[in-house]
Amino acid sequence: MGNDRYDVIIVGAGPAGSSAAQLCAENNLSVALIEKGEFPGSKNMFGGAIYSETTATIVPTFWEEAPLERPITEEKIWFMEPNSVVEVGFTGYDFAKSPYNSFTVIRSRFDRWFADKAVQKGAHLLTSTLVENLVYEKLGLTGKKVSGVRLEDGSEIYSEVVILAEGGWANLAEKAGLRDNINSKMLTIYIKELLALPQGVIEARFNLEKNEGCSIGMVSYPTAGAIGKGGIWTNRDTISLAVGGFLDQFNQKGLNIYQLLYRLKGHPKVKRLIEGAETVQYMYHQIPRGSYDNIPRLYDDGILVTGDAANLISGRHGTEIAMLSGMYAAETVIHAKAKGDFSKKTLAAYGNKLENTFFVDNMKVRKKSKIFYQKHTDSDFLISQLANEVAKVFFTEGFRTEQENINNMLKEVENIQPLSKTLSDLYQAVWHWRVL
Amino acid sequence: MGNFIKTNQNPLKYVRIKVADHSHIYLRDKQRCQRECENKPCTYFCPTRVYSWSGEDREIKVAYQRCVECGACPWGCPYDNISWSFPPGGYGVHYEL
Repeated sequence: MGNDRYDVIIVGAGPAGSSAAQLCAENNLSVALIEKGEFPGSKNMFGGAIYSETTATIVPTFWEEAPLERPITEEKIWFMEPNSVVEVGFTGYDFAKSPYNSFTVIRSRFDRWFADKAVQKGAHLLTSTLVENLVYEKLGLTGKKVSGVRLEDGSEIYSEVVILAEGGWANLAEKAGLRDNINSKMLTIYIKELLALPQGVIEARFNLEKNEGCSIGMVSYPTAGAIGKGGIWTNRDTISLAVGGFLDQFNQKGLNIYQLLYRLKGHPKVKRLIEGAETVQYMYHQIPRGSYDNIPRLYDDGILVTGDAANLISGRHGTEIAMLSGMYAAETVIHAKAKGDFSKKTLAAYGNKLENTFFVDNMKVRKKSKIFYQKHTDSDFLISQLANEVAKVFFTEGFRTEQENINNMLKEVENIQPLSKTLSDLYQAVWHWRVL
Repeated sequence: MGNFIKTNQNPLKYVRIKVADHSHIYLRDKQRCQRECENKPCTYFCPTRVYSWSGEDREIKVAYQRCVECGACPWGCPYDNISWSFPPGGYGVHYEL
């Protein structure tokens, strides 16, 4: 394997790496795509859904060939208290047909297929291969430029440029001096359980047809007071149940995500959905929750950083942004190849491309929300409590006049916290609800 | 190794891990855990209980074989005392359906 030379080496065959590999290979660059797992996707985990519009940017009409679970037609949010739930949702039957909106997928299947698209276009895929370090060459008198990677067996592979798509751990980005050390305030960890049920049972319990799926975001109860979220996604014959949140919060409150998941499975609203299901797999993963302020330096001489490794995550958009950042990195590299210059001056185009995207714009707007949540860790909890208390009074029948009912509701509102704080929480919640 | 919940169900039963012959995790200064770290949060935030406190040896034991590579520990340790890297290529946690 040693001493090969490629135009581009891509570290990590997840959504960012495989997007970049496809585009580079398509444009006749020689590509090495290096994956530490036995196959692409074998170490990857996420909540549950990919978005159609983005994925189609990389592979048009991908739904005709990709291993997908279900198109999502029902999106719900549950504000959960121990014995009640306020549900907000949208059902769109148009989402069950082309061009769709989003699909639930299983990463070990989808990522494998997605990387295979790159292989079909000519990229060399190396699996079970861990990159240990970057290799440099001299640039000018005092500078240096990344010129390849060193593998764990000590062999080296050389290239004009390296694209890091190594995931949130981002060891190489850190070694390259591009990324500061992260801390537990910026890191969320998630657990997911895959639960198997017959297709027909899933469809009956979630009120779905054969080619429809459901995604549920769960607020408050799942994280027992820590900032985080829970989620349910319906796959073809399994259900994904996930919960997680900020690591520093779990530390302070002495929480463990495995226990949180177990607790969530006992909630009456969840329990009946998964009754009799057989556990197939537990999965664990970190998601860096950087904001605009902690996007690392995205490029240097001979190197670019994409996806989770670059903290490019905004709300529920992780996989999607990974794919797009891989695409922009590839465009930049293709241009650099044509120019014959892989210095940071040329690669700066990547930074400019990202700066103009919708997701970096969103990250700028949302950097305030993260601060809000860190300051008011209880806001999800309070909103959920409020919604449930008020709804309960509203729906409880009895011998009361309407005016008495309204008074009771107002009393519930004031019992929780001052009205002004509630209004501010509600405003923030609507503004930021997709942040975490 | 104890589990977290009443049923004593073992989460690792449903996770495939190809264990390498050497550890990818080590503690930089074992004494520090006893000396400075009061809560030892690694013993509860790690989802698969890689870390446990041994009262007998007065130190944190590291069962790297249980690691699912969630990446929490190096950042979760309040004393930056956990050195973590990926297991060798092809080893460690493996998700496949």
